[in-house]
Amino acid sequence: MITFKIRSSKPAGFRSVHLPAFKTMLSFILSLCLLLSGCGVREKEEDSFRIVTSFYPMYIMALNLTQGVPGVQVENMAGQQAGCLHDYQLQSKDMQNLQKADLFVINGAGMESFLEDVKQQLPSLPILVTSQGIPLLEEEDHSHEEESEHGEEQGSHEGHEHGEVNPHVWVSISDAILQVENFSEGLTEADPIHGEQYRKNAEIYIEKLETLREEMHQALDGLEDKRIITFHEAFPYFAQEFGLEIVKVINREPESQPSAKELAETIREIRETGVKAVFAEPQYPESAANIVAEESGAGMYFLDPCTTGEESPDAYLNAMRKNMEVLKTALAG
Amino acid sequence: MEIIYNWMDWLLPFEWAEFTFMKHALLAVLLVTPLFGLVGTMVVNNRMSFFSDALGHSALTGIALGVLMGVDNYLLSMLGFSLLFALLMSGVMGSGLSSADTIIGVFSSTGLALGIVLLSSQGGFAKYSGYLVGDILTVGTEEILLLAGVLVLVILLWVLLFNRMFLTGMNPDLAASKGISVRLTEKLFVVIVAVLVTISIKWVGILIINSLLVLPAAAARNIARSMRAYHVYSVGISMISGVTGLILSYYLGTAAGGTIVLTAAAFFFVTFAAARLRKS
Repeated sequence: MITFKIRSSKPAGFRSVHLPAFKTMLSFILSLCLLLSGCGVREKEEDSFRIVTSFYPMYIMALNLTQGVPGVQVENMAGQQAGCLHDYQLQSKDMQNLQKADLFVINGAGMESFLEDVKQQLPSLPILVTSQGIPLLEEEDHSHEEESEHGEEQGSHEGHEHGEVNPHVWVSISDAILQVENFSEGLTEADPIHGEQYRKNAEIYIEKLETLREEMHQALDGLEDKRIITFHEAFPYFAQEFGLEIVKVINREPESQPSAKELAETIREIRETGVKAVFAEPQYPESAANIVAEESGAGMYFLDPCTTGEESPDAYLNAMRKNMEVLKTALAG
Repeated sequence: MEIIYNWMDWLLPFEWAEFTFMKHALLAVLLVTPLFGLVGTMVVNNRMSFFSDALGHSALTGIALGVLMGVDNYLLSMLGFSLLFALLMSGVMGSGLSSADTIIGVFSSTGLALGIVLLSSQGGFAKYSGYLVGDILTVGTEEILLLAGVLVLVILLWVLLFNRMFLTGMNPDLAASKGISVRLTEKLFVVIVAVLVTISIKWVGILIINSLLVLPAAAARNIARSMRAYHVYSVGISMISGVTGLILSYYLGTAAGGTIVLTAAAFFFVTFAAARLRKS
């Protein structure tokens, strides 16, 4: 852009031997100035309060809490399409992002596996753990035989994850409410000037969440058969809240494909128990769920753990309403 | 397809054959392994085993481009990219500026790195790691038909062009003196390898696809005494390890692709030992 401008603004007769080199130099310097001034502008915004959230569910909460609050910036570190942070690798732009943050809001409970690195690199960054004080579920063992077989085969504890807690707290609405409370408290502490507004926003959002919870209980409590099969370990909190029984989780490790043996066992189990529905997640390829559903005669549906989606404050509410409708159709009669 | 299923039920009264996904996987293996056995003979003969490895790695960039363009089916973007990549690579190799292994090394790492950079710019690389190890259990009917089509096509090309390709691989000067267009034949073979690697990468996996191409042919070379035997052994070993590996993986609960490759590797060492014994 700049080079163009310079070239076109010079009169045609101005050419000399050294001009091209001079022009390149000039354009280089100009663009450098532009870059530096760009940084300068950003730094001038210092008086605003910058919240960086670790991933999408936290981001949606932040959008709700900061609605209409002037001088507050919210940024989502992992991006709207990253999904769960199971194997997220920090990029240099993430660290830059965090460096400029006044508060880093995370889910905690082991979701942010890179947390230690961040703490080491940026010891002064205040971190707000929203899952604090929420009773956590251990990674449950859905099929004991399989587990013991694994132990024999591989000798050692192949995944330490089995003894760990399940981080997918926000998928339960009650726990999401607790997270919003933690969030607004921590936020008020870190940015007391806007404390009143944060609290008010939290109240409004929690009221919406409570209405949704009521609505979902009404829709789901009456269902007779509440057995479901899910694909990943994302729904224990959700199931606990609405009395659903997760018969089996097909794929414990979200990154790997289920083996033929696992698929066969799941299909047999569905055939024997008559579970009506298999739930895949929109964030992952559904091919394996398709296989299981097709061969067992169960229906295949999508449950959304709300880890990806639009940049709208109501995204969580909408996704949950959709989940409610899906469950109603999947488990009805 | 129904007829084939019924046949298979009758032919294979085993526990694993009760599931359609295993039938699909078996059919896919029966179609893909002869392809690998056949093309592998020429890959091994022409000392191109790292060339095909680089092609496998480039598939990751193809997937990444597909993801960025928002295509649901990555086959087209992969195919387009790996064809471009293969022709570019063989073009640079033909220039003779550096040795072939260096050029392949450069392209292989470029393809892989570009794929990683593009995919991780979207946030999570983990979602695509399925492509690294492959997943033959999710093969669908259409994909089986596609594989069958490619198998027929490759066999046809083999029948028509085997002598030309063989001579070009053995001695390009002699081939040229016989009026064979060396460059065209080489490019054609490169295209065949690229297509084969691309369409099967989803089920075999980027990390091990090359072993499937190289191992059966290498094992066959250990024991074969004629060109015909070399081909028959290679295709046979490829198919047997494919089916054995698939069934083993069912009972052991292991990844199918890896088990198939390990079976083929076992064949290589057994034939190697046999060849050594015969020599001494």
